[in-house]
Amino acid sequence: MNSAPVANGSNPGGAYNNQAARQDMEYLCADCGAKNEIRSREPIRCRECGHRIMYKKRTKRMVQFEAR
Amino acid sequence: MASSSKLPQSAYNPRRHVGVHAEWISDVSSTDYPGHYPHEDHSWDLEKFKQNLQVKVQRLSQRSIEFDLVGVDASIANAFRRILIAEVPTVAIEHVYVWNNTSVIQDEVLAHRIGLVPLNVDPSMVEWRKNAPGFEGQPNDRNTLVFRLPISCERIGGNKKNATGTQQLKNEYVKSGDLVWQPQGEQVSVFESCPPGPTNKDIVLAKLRPGQEIDMELHAIKGVGKDHAKWSPVATASYRLHPLIILNPEKPVPPHLAQKFAKCFSPGVVTVDEDGEVSIDEKNMRQDSVSREVLRHKEFEGCVQLKRIRDWFIFNVESEGPYAPERLFLESILVMRQKIATIKDAAEGLMRGEDEPVPEAAADGDVEMTET
Amino acid sequence: MAQEDFDVPMDTQEQEQDVDLEKIKLLPNASDDGTSASFQVIDEDHTLGNALRYIIMKNPEVEFCGYSIPHPSENKLNIRIQTYGNITAVEALHQGLDNLSELCVTIEGNFREQLEKVGTNI
Repeated sequence: MNSAPVANGSNPGGAYNNQAARQDMEYLCADCGAKNEIRSREPIRCRECGHRIMYKKRTKRMVQFEAR
Repeated sequence: MASSSKLPQSAYNPRRHVGVHAEWISDVSSTDYPGHYPHEDHSWDLEKFKQNLQVKVQRLSQRSIEFDLVGVDASIANAFRRILIAEVPTVAIEHVYVWNNTSVIQDEVLAHRIGLVPLNVDPSMVEWRKNAPGFEGQPNDRNTLVFRLPISCERIGGNKKNATGTQQLKNEYVKSGDLVWQPQGEQVSVFESCPPGPTNKDIVLAKLRPGQEIDMELHAIKGVGKDHAKWSPVATASYRLHPLIILNPEKPVPPHLAQKFAKCFSPGVVTVDEDGEVSIDEKNMRQDSVSREVLRHKEFEGCVQLKRIRDWFIFNVESEGPYAPERLFLESILVMRQKIATIKDAAEGLMRGEDEPVPEAAADGDVEMTET
Repeated sequence: MAQEDFDVPMDTQEQEQDVDLEKIKLLPNASDDGTSASFQVIDEDHTLGNALRYIIMKNPEVEFCGYSIPHPSENKLNIRIQTYGNITAVEALHQGLDNLSELCVTIEGNFREQLEKVGTNI
């Protein structure tokens, strides 16, 4: 076994790969949970339900903690 | 006094007694030191110690042990108690690497919960991470166990509801049993007989709703309770002194108050015969809580003395984790002996410094060794 | 494997770690003849301090023995030993360690004996 796991491309959905592939960020609707792509200068509005609050998705990077 | 022969006569030696009074206690300190009593030798004597020492297991179950340790000083008993809690090593999860966690419980809170899960790993099978030769602090297959926690919640059978109108969910509860051990290097063979995992598979770590998932890697290492309580091998490790209740033959309890007197003690400690005469059940005396209730009642003044036996320790140890309860105390002795051996070796250096021509060399030694 | 380790613990554990000479040191202000001295032990606390103090006080050659933890956030233990003059403080310390060790061995032996009586074999 090597040292602690490191976030890299070999790992499903490594952060850098994704960001290079598409510029638009996917957000989640706070009301219905649908995925929404938000582009610049467009109104922030859910395509499914019209709700105007969006959540940012969790980072795809690994986060390290001490179990204390 | 009316006594069945359960307690040895030596228990009534007043020198061994700690007095328990209404609002104070007396004779707390031990007096078995040379020079305390004129013309008595209380210097350390192994043979005498062996004669006086008594260990007796009173109760042993799957998870806990109660035993008596008689004939040692509080400083010794307390050392073992402290070691049991803080210095007997175990293995627990220390590093958490979170790939994904979309549940409502925050990463750090979940990491903390997972750290507290007791693992069934025999600590002697795992090395200290700080001792890894040449790679201090580096994980390897001798000092680290790896677990994975990949889990996601989904509906069973789509959106159908069952008769009670609730949906069947898979992995609604993330439990300690969901931890997956991932053997590294030689661990496959080393841990073949007992694959590492939680001692209890039903500890709820998190709750999930459909679509939520958790994916983590967990590294468990060896540690001690003084670093963090998750490494403590015991749920409790405590002792109490053996209670002693002495009735005053000069002032017996009046028969019409016998029941009231008995109620001042824990059940079974005081027995009342048909004539209303009270006596102490010596076998049950150890169960008394020494609540001092009897001292609150004027009518019982002078009838009874409450005491505890200063060198009679009733240990209660509950194991949590890999050690069988009866093995824990032995482990604590082991740790104690290692401590002593370490200091003994280090103190050999002092001895050499002392042997050299007396004053100058010793003074030199001082200057060299102190930094202030 | 666990069983083997358990039977010969002192040897295996001791050989693994080298002697740590920093573990204990002589504090300044020891008397010239060495009959009274203070020591400082690193990474020890009341667990060892009080037990060692007790056993050293049982030595009839020792006039005084006491310990203190000078500051709660420094894991240091100070032990003071003064003898009547027939032995040095360092000798008293060594005797104390030896006595404490044999005390532990005795308790361990007794406890194991008890477990055999109860019918548990470890």
